[in-house]
Amino acid sequence: MEDGRRTADGPGTPEPCLTVCPLEGGQGVRAAGEIGLATHTIWERALERAVREGEAVYLLELSEVTFVDVAGAGALAAAAERLGDGRRFVVRRPPPALRRVLETFWPGLSTIEVSMS
Amino acid sequence: MSVAAEPLATAPDPFVHPALFYRDDREYLDGTLPFVRAGLAAGEPVAVAVPGDRLRLLRDALGDDAAAVRLVDMREAGRNPGRIIPGVLRAFADDRPAGKRVRIIGEPVWAGRSETEYPACVQHEALINAAFRGRAVTILCPYDAARLPARALADAHATHPVVIPAGPGPEYRSDAYAPDAVAARCNEPLPPVADAMTFPFAAASLPGARHAASGEGRRLGLTGVALEDLAIATAELTTNSVRHGGGSGVLRVWGENGRVVCEVRDRGRLTDPLAGRHPAPHDQRGGRGLLMVNLIADLVRVHTGDEGTTIRCWFGPR
Repeated sequence: MEDGRRTADGPGTPEPCLTVCPLEGGQGVRAAGEIGLATHTIWERALERAVREGEAVYLLELSEVTFVDVAGAGALAAAAERLGDGRRFVVRRPPPALRRVLETFWPGLSTIEVSMS
Repeated sequence: MSVAAEPLATAPDPFVHPALFYRDDREYLDGTLPFVRAGLAAGEPVAVAVPGDRLRLLRDALGDDAAAVRLVDMREAGRNPGRIIPGVLRAFADDRPAGKRVRIIGEPVWAGRSETEYPACVQHEALINAAFRGRAVTILCPYDAARLPARALADAHATHPVVIPAGPGPEYRSDAYAPDAVAARCNEPLPPVADAMTFPFAAASLPGARHAASGEGRRLGLTGVALEDLAIATAELTTNSVRHGGGSGVLRVWGENGRVVCEVRDRGRLTDPLAGRHPAPHDQRGGRGLLMVNLIADLVRVHTGDEGTTIRCWFGPR
């Protein structure tokens, strides 16, 4: 779990706000914490890596993410639009806020599949 | 009755924004049906966004033609007046092929709008003029002259360059037309309320502010989507304060007539009157926070000035 984990300290807070670590098998990441102003950089870096890695299906395991703000959802949508032919993100168990924002601004984005299983 | 389907000869702006005063169903249909039919006959895209009872009246009168018209219940889609420009009017008009005039009937003001909602309605009607300036769009705004207070009809004269009176008279240019002055007048102060949950925040306490709002919203009875929306709005407003509003602010949350109000106060100033009402292009990075709040809240009120900005949003049970 510790390998590849990135930790951000929010300004003035001692606890990490967002951790991102590779899934076993390497075809995705598991994030934990929350995606907001203090953690956008970590989230965007993780998404850039996901776009670069070239997997056909890249899993974003978000069941331990408690909140994603509009800019965080926008970063995901922007990354998804850069995936290219035949590739997609599977976003697993995202917090309700992420689904709400995606449905509002990027409905029917075919490169993001939300899985609640 | 003549309806302003085309610009008056001397009008330099292709955008046409008449108010239509009506007193009963007959006058409503006399003023709206020919407008819709002329649009359909010319192959123009037509949308009707009016309260549900008016929508049914017009739909039934249109018969089979209703299928060619985008029908929107304004009581739902336009519950928050700040949502109407991005979420209803431009959502329809921007999506149309070039070369055809776009026709929309939009009825954002109805009898029963609350005192809290009303300034946001007038402000919205004023801002439509700026939002559509230069575009080949006609937005016809019906006003229920039998049931709305005189003040609402006077305000309609200030927010619409052209008025179509109730009854047989011809349309006329409104001498009272002054949308910028009206928008400024609707920028009403929002004095702090007593007995609200109060949470001063800065960058480090953004998550704490969101948790505090959610906790208070839950305590006041919000659940499900409404509670999620309160959290989203709080996150966006407080983050805007940190990024653009002087780095900090004060969050307040309280209950009001069965709804939950979230207020964020900071030292910034909004310079764009249409802030939060520009639809975001698909590929735009960022800049959607206030727009999101407008799209999900039941009502948004804003006061901005040299001394700072206050944004209030209301969330009720869904």
